[in-house]
Amino acid sequence: MAAVDAEVARLQAENDRLRRTLTDFNERIVCGRLTGELPDNFLEQFSQLPDRPLEHVLRFLPARQVVQMRHVSRKFNHLIRKCSKTMPKMKRDGTVVFRNNNAGELTVDWFDDCGSKITTTTTSLAGDEVALSELLRFIRIGGRMFFGEGVSAADEVLDQLSKAWLTIHPEVVIFSSDISHTSQDSLRAFLVKVEPSIRRLNFQNVTNISDSLLSDDVIGAAGRLDGLMVLPMCWGSELRDSNVISDINIGDRTLLAMADAGRVSSYFFVMGCSGITPGGIRAFVEKWTKKERPQVDANFSGFGWPLELCELTFYKCANVTAAAIEDACGDLLKKETIAGAGVFVGDSGEMQERVRYTTQCPSSNCRLEILFHYYPFHSHFVNEPRLDDEIDYNYDDDYPDDLDPEIEDDDFDDYDGYDAMDYDDDEDSDLD
Amino acid sequence: MIQLCSNDDPPVSFTVPRKAVELSKTIKTMLEDLEGFDMEQTPIPLPNVDAPTLELIVKWVEQHQDDPPPVEKPRVEDDDSDDSDADDDQEPEVVIPEWDKKFLPTDDEQKNQLFKLLNAANYLEIKPLLDIGCKYVADKISGQTVEWVRDYLNMENDYTPEEEAKLKEEIAWAEGL
Repeated sequence: MAAVDAEVARLQAENDRLRRTLTDFNERIVCGRLTGELPDNFLEQFSQLPDRPLEHVLRFLPARQVVQMRHVSRKFNHLIRKCSKTMPKMKRDGTVVFRNNNAGELTVDWFDDCGSKITTTTTSLAGDEVALSELLRFIRIGGRMFFGEGVSAADEVLDQLSKAWLTIHPEVVIFSSDISHTSQDSLRAFLVKVEPSIRRLNFQNVTNISDSLLSDDVIGAAGRLDGLMVLPMCWGSELRDSNVISDINIGDRTLLAMADAGRVSSYFFVMGCSGITPGGIRAFVEKWTKKERPQVDANFSGFGWPLELCELTFYKCANVTAAAIEDACGDLLKKETIAGAGVFVGDSGEMQERVRYTTQCPSSNCRLEILFHYYPFHSHFVNEPRLDDEIDYNYDDDYPDDLDPEIEDDDFDDYDGYDAMDYDDDEDSDLD
Repeated sequence: MIQLCSNDDPPVSFTVPRKAVELSKTIKTMLEDLEGFDMEQTPIPLPNVDAPTLELIVKWVEQHQDDPPPVEKPRVEDDDSDDSDADDDQEPEVVIPEWDKKFLPTDDEQKNQLFKLLNAANYLEIKPLLDIGCKYVADKISGQTVEWVRDYLNMENDYTPEEEAKLKEEIAWAEGL
């Protein structure tokens, strides 16, 4: 009975407290108006709907209206912000492009699924402006995130995007800018944030990578990836002089993790990663070959390209040469000379034989390719959506067989695989 | 049978079948905690619920006592406790049954009674009642202007002009999308 008494006493006390507050409230009403100093949360106690039902009501509303409802009152705004994680959000599943200009302004361009521009929003990263994370609070980012022009992937941007209350679920993240202002910690935190959704991570034509930025540890934060590209920007003489390209700390660990890629098409394209060793590649090939796959119905295969294509490309990786691969895993792989021209002009001007190493699992119709030259990078290069000439953009979209080397990345993975091979042929015929 | 008492002075008490009253998770848990005591003899005081509201609650739980129990889904609590990136934008699907449509105090003069009912449903954790009530309010609010909602929910615009300007900027940013 003691428990009941305690409960009754507690409820009675609560009752008394409310009664006292109410008496106080009544005393303050003079001629129908509230007078005197009110305690901070005074009105909240008497507001007609408490937080929980209000929050519940808001969840039934369209996302756009929830954002507007923030105007209703401070309490409402506070509540909506507090529950932002569970509030309906405006979905943006196309591409969002971050750009940074010299004035320190960050522009955010929003594109829909078809690459048509929706709008541009600008924010400042300095001073007491509204924070980026605050602006993105009621938006759900899916699709692709693209860090373009300027130092758009600087720590202050990444840190804001990593805030716990934001809903950021991109499948593809592309860094394509100056990343001199990006630190390991911020990049790692951002990758942890997007880890549940991210499938492909491209560092394409990035400049000013600091020595310690990219490492197995940082890339590992992104979890299981189906595609990774690390391509520092290099032009003219830089291309020929490998000393200019700073070494990237990505090694066998990241490579091995890629063997778990679950998608139909996967790629691992890296440049300047001396941490990759022939031994690591052997381990990868073994792991990849033994990976469990659903058996393919014999009637279903035979489209001319494999159902699963895994492409590894090592460019200017000190320890990875065709000869070293031959030594390390020649027994596992088949050496192929790429059709068309057997030779091409190498980076240092010498004639090189273009080869690739492949292996195939006929039972499950999948294929692994290891290549050593620069061109395959293009097949998974994601173009920044264009701002001005949307018509032109759509043209590219409609004609995927366009021979323009900057091949549009596509969500159809079969197509990607086809494209990569197709591209090689184009390349070689040019050299005929 | 269980007795429930309103917070009025003197309290008004209602006698409700145990099965019906257990639609309230709050009371159900309490009864379970007090297993072994003769709860039929002990009225349960409800400090947050007045007599008219309690009458509605009793009417509702008696009507719905034979409903199949709702499918329990783990509720995502407020932001800080939530690390799972579960589907955060799924819209809850609630259909208000015919009986409940007539039951809810939906006249405009009765809106405060409706809010009190939701308040009580929340306090007593009667999820299905809270769902349909909130759905009703949401349908009512949907598509209305900020001023209208303010009036409907008895809220006051307590922003300073500066705050309002800043907020406007934030909202405009999202509205372009």
